[in-house]
Amino acid sequence: MALPALTPQYVLGLAALLVLVVDAFTPTSRKNGLLAGLTALAGVTSAGAAAWLYAGGAGRTTLFDGALAVDASTSFFTAVFGCVAALVAVASYDYVREEPHQSAYYALVLLATAGMSVMAAANSLVTAFLALELVSLPAYALVAYLKRDAGSAEAGLKYFVVGALSSAILVYGISLVYAATGVFGFAALADAVAGNAHVTVLGAGVVMLIGGFAFKTASVPFHFWAPEAYEGAPAPVSAFLSSASKAAGFVLAFRVFLLAFPLAAFEALGIPWTLVFAVLAVVTMTLGNVAAATQTNVKRMLAYSSIGHAGYALIGLAALSGPTSSDVAVVGASFSHLFVYGFTNTGAFLVVALAERWGVGRTFEDYAGLARSAPVASAVLAVLLFSLAGLPVGGGFWTKYALFLGAVQSGLWWLAAVGVVNSALSLFYYSRLVKAVWVDAPDETGVARERPTGIYAAVVVAAVVTVALLVAPDVVFSWADAAARALVSA
Amino acid sequence: MNEWIAVGVFAVVAASIPAVMVSASRLLRPSVPEKGKETVYESGEVPTGGTRLNFNIQYYMVALLFVVFDIETVLIFPWTVVYQDAVGAAGLGSALAPMLVFIAVLVVGLGWAWRTGVIRWVSSANTEFNT
Amino acid sequence: MVPLQYYLLFSAAMFCIGVFGVLARRNALVYLMSVELMLNAANVVFVASSAHYGTISGQVFSLFTMALAAAEVAVGVGIVLVAYRNFKDIDITNPTSMRW
Repeated sequence: MALPALTPQYVLGLAALLVLVVDAFTPTSRKNGLLAGLTALAGVTSAGAAAWLYAGGAGRTTLFDGALAVDASTSFFTAVFGCVAALVAVASYDYVREEPHQSAYYALVLLATAGMSVMAAANSLVTAFLALELVSLPAYALVAYLKRDAGSAEAGLKYFVVGALSSAILVYGISLVYAATGVFGFAALADAVAGNAHVTVLGAGVVMLIGGFAFKTASVPFHFWAPEAYEGAPAPVSAFLSSASKAAGFVLAFRVFLLAFPLAAFEALGIPWTLVFAVLAVVTMTLGNVAAATQTNVKRMLAYSSIGHAGYALIGLAALSGPTSSDVAVVGASFSHLFVYGFTNTGAFLVVALAERWGVGRTFEDYAGLARSAPVASAVLAVLLFSLAGLPVGGGFWTKYALFLGAVQSGLWWLAAVGVVNSALSLFYYSRLVKAVWVDAPDETGVARERPTGIYAAVVVAAVVTVALLVAPDVVFSWADAAARALVSA
Repeated sequence: MNEWIAVGVFAVVAASIPAVMVSASRLLRPSVPEKGKETVYESGEVPTGGTRLNFNIQYYMVALLFVVFDIETVLIFPWTVVYQDAVGAAGLGSALAPMLVFIAVLVVGLGWAWRTGVIRWVSSANTEFNT
Repeated sequence: MVPLQYYLLFSAAMFCIGVFGVLARRNALVYLMSVELMLNAANVVFVASSAHYGTISGQVFSLFTMALAAAEVAVGVGIVLVAYRNFKDIDITNPTSMRW
């Protein structure tokens, strides 16, 4: 059966409207289960449709006069977004059960996911910008969702303040690129930048675009919203933003820089943007990991580690060197890192959601001895954290290895070295948390913990996928390679 | 640079017109200072309170919904400009359907806001400016 | 016709005024206005370049930017309200319960 190329995007958008319609017809009844189920179903359906489209092998489809282009990278990342949205929806079933305005919550999650999947299909700076804002605006509201909670309000305010600034910078960057070239489409831009006469304007525009993407991916120099937003936001929203939203920012950055701003043309103009990304990668991963190592708050530690992971994924843009095969390898490694990270990091944040629901405190000491009362969740947490660190207990091992190998092969051995040192540092603070949970003695013994089905199911699925990707990585990694090839040799 | 001279002359003329009017009237008019002329309302109404006051927060929701439909117009306007040509070039369906979908999405949003009581006006006795 | 460079300089000035407002003002609403100014600086470039290249796409983008600006203000003011309820103030440097 031949599905329309934008099936996943349609499913997500219509599901968001459906949530609102259902709520409009029954505004007074509580229907958390129905709405969460609808959201999860839409997420899984869109991921399934994306996999179906990839398996159908349709190649590259351009739609709406070249405004959108669906290829293997679109389906790959749409699958990530759909899965993360489903996990978040299932976990939210328990998390927002007592909160008001649930329909708005689920509708915003679906709208943001729809925006992400459109970002993965963007083929013009117009659609790229609109999709990016379709992700940002719901995300601001989601972070501030717990209106009575000062932390959530503060997080929402800070996220919005930085986000509004960065989107203004992004728009100005787009306008400068347009002033230098006169076109928005990626293919037309690739032609127009070659030998462009307005190098200064174009260069300033590209730098500002990088700033806009840095915000979305929580990389230096627009990373400072991330710790506050992730710490204050409801934990499922932190999971959603730090995995799916970050991956969306990356796929858009990859699309823009591989399709619209070809490296060869820019090196001829004297703007080697790989160097910018190499510097950003080093600074981002170092800052993220060093700051994470000094944290005492678990959620904040995960937030900084999420910044560190943005640094690893940036290697995919920094280590491009020209030959198609090595470029495909390193971009594919970055894609599969984002895929694995999507599940692993979502799972880790959802374990924090579980702890928040139990009323466990926020610091490492508060987590001490959690394994005595909640062995399953603690085992899952250990697996997820070690996979984040890159130990061979989850798919994160392969992807980090491939990323560092790719960096070495394109001659950036110093980048790989910094990455390895950072991974070692990250192992230090991840194992601090694992030690607290498994080794340290709890303050009070014999605590009976409730078992919220939704969150438990979500974290277990996340851990199972993470481990499965260690055992059988080829399914996903070949898809990631196809996705990378679709962009590199487009 | 002839056109720029015109711009400069225009700016000078534009600035001098109000200046001439004000200074001419100052030279011609009789000066009769009187206390009643200095009050805010010459009708004799005595103003109370400061000029900065809190509006009822419920206006926020009305303003929010207004913004939605205000901006909707911005996006519909270019569509209406090309509508005739688009019908000729692409047929009625492909010219009309996208805009209908766009408006339908907005209607879903408005319907949701209405049904969930976002625009229901709640009056409370302790709000001073509760109009 | 006025050359494109003049428009670029003008918009750069607008953008810088916006940046100054963002950096210097602490009132959340003034902050929003400054961001608005930055967005409108981009609009100037879009419309001017659109006229320069004789393509309509830049003008259409400026309409989208306006729509975004309105949506951003709508969400932003909502968040400022939530923050005001919690902190009794709209100074964006005030909420500092979380620190690195």
